[in-house]
Amino acid sequence: MQPKPRPIQRFAQAVSKCSAEAAVYGKCIVADYNSVHKDKCAQEFLKLKNCYLVG
Amino acid sequence: MRLNLVRGCRPQNLCSSKSRLASRGYAFQASGSPIPSVFNRRTKWLQKERAASNPELSRQADYLKDEVAMRVCERLLDIKRPFARVLDLGANSCNIARALTRENPDPDPSRPESPPLAVTSQIEELVAAESSASLLHRDADLPFNTCLPSLKLTRHVLSDEETLPFEGSSFDLVLSSLSMHWINDLPGVLAQINHVLRPDRPFIGAMLGGDTLFELRTSLQLAEQERRGGISPHVSPLADVRDVGGLLQRAGFQMLTVDVEDIVVDYPDTFALMQDLQAMGEGNAVLGREMGGIGRDVLLANEGIYRALHGNEDGSIPATFRVIHMIGWKAGGNQPKPLKRGSGEVNLKDILEQK
Repeated sequence: MQPKPRPIQRFAQAVSKCSAEAAVYGKCIVADYNSVHKDKCAQEFLKLKNCYLVG
Repeated sequence: MRLNLVRGCRPQNLCSSKSRLASRGYAFQASGSPIPSVFNRRTKWLQKERAASNPELSRQADYLKDEVAMRVCERLLDIKRPFARVLDLGANSCNIARALTRENPDPDPSRPESPPLAVTSQIEELVAAESSASLLHRDADLPFNTCLPSLKLTRHVLSDEETLPFEGSSFDLVLSSLSMHWINDLPGVLAQINHVLRPDRPFIGAMLGGDTLFELRTSLQLAEQERRGGISPHVSPLADVRDVGGLLQRAGFQMLTVDVEDIVVDYPDTFALMQDLQAMGEGNAVLGREMGGIGRDVLLANEGIYRALHGNEDGSIPATFRVIHMIGWKAGGNQPKPLKRGSGEVNLKDILEQK
């Protein structure tokens, strides 16, 4: 019997389906990573999170 | 502290305190600045115990430790001396013992198979010392423990990795592979290693340092900064190459060799990297870290940033492990020593200009 997957594994699998959104979010941060502040890329992050929550 | 007090009081007080000092019958070393604690040793111990409680997963994640142990032991090929009694400090799961008993450590197609390093270096006893008992005994029933009848492997559980319970001048060689980066009092431990070595015997060690896991460090920092507006330590502060030379010298080692090696491992995603680190028992044990796991939002953000900042073209992500190798010899015997200052007779400038 396969052991029960750890929560982190299920999380990783869900996130792997959102690579496009993750890339957009990553680009937004990396574009100017010397001046990152809270909620700098909040919109991009919400898109990423929505994608993960749907998946 | 005492100096300040003395300075603050009047001359006659100074005299009285002086005479009190003079009447003291023994010499002692004034304690220096207190040793800063960086790591929570108990957390580290727990992490190692926990990692070893799942032998299968823990063995899968042993690739880095096995590789570095092998590279440490390969350095023995350069020293043509017998080492009867060897200490492996911070043995993890006896990776050094495995590397020492491996067949054909020096693959050379022109020569027949070379014998294991434990045979070429004539090692009779290997003491593997480690604070985590479960990790140390994880592989106690595997063939490498008994495959060489000439080698006696002893496992020693340390109650505290920062105080060595061994007698002075009792080892011919001290090895240490990937465990010294969790030690708080590095100068103290190095001095103790120097103490347990016999005169004119080497210490060969490897620890993580410098830019190890800089990818994870930077991307987690950016993710936390953007998601939560502040950062907490997730990757240990590590010794730099420059520091290691000074530390060895301070501990009294001679003829130092320090070099760096970068091992870059590619992972499918950041979660695989973090799971492997956990299975290695190399989780975060910095004092003053935020308790509890990293929040999902930060992990999610970290995945995107890591890929954008450091990701490979094929979709995998690299993780750099910078291994600092060090060799130091305990003074003694007819070791070559630097000549006295000013005793040189040839001008180096002349030689360099001739070429």
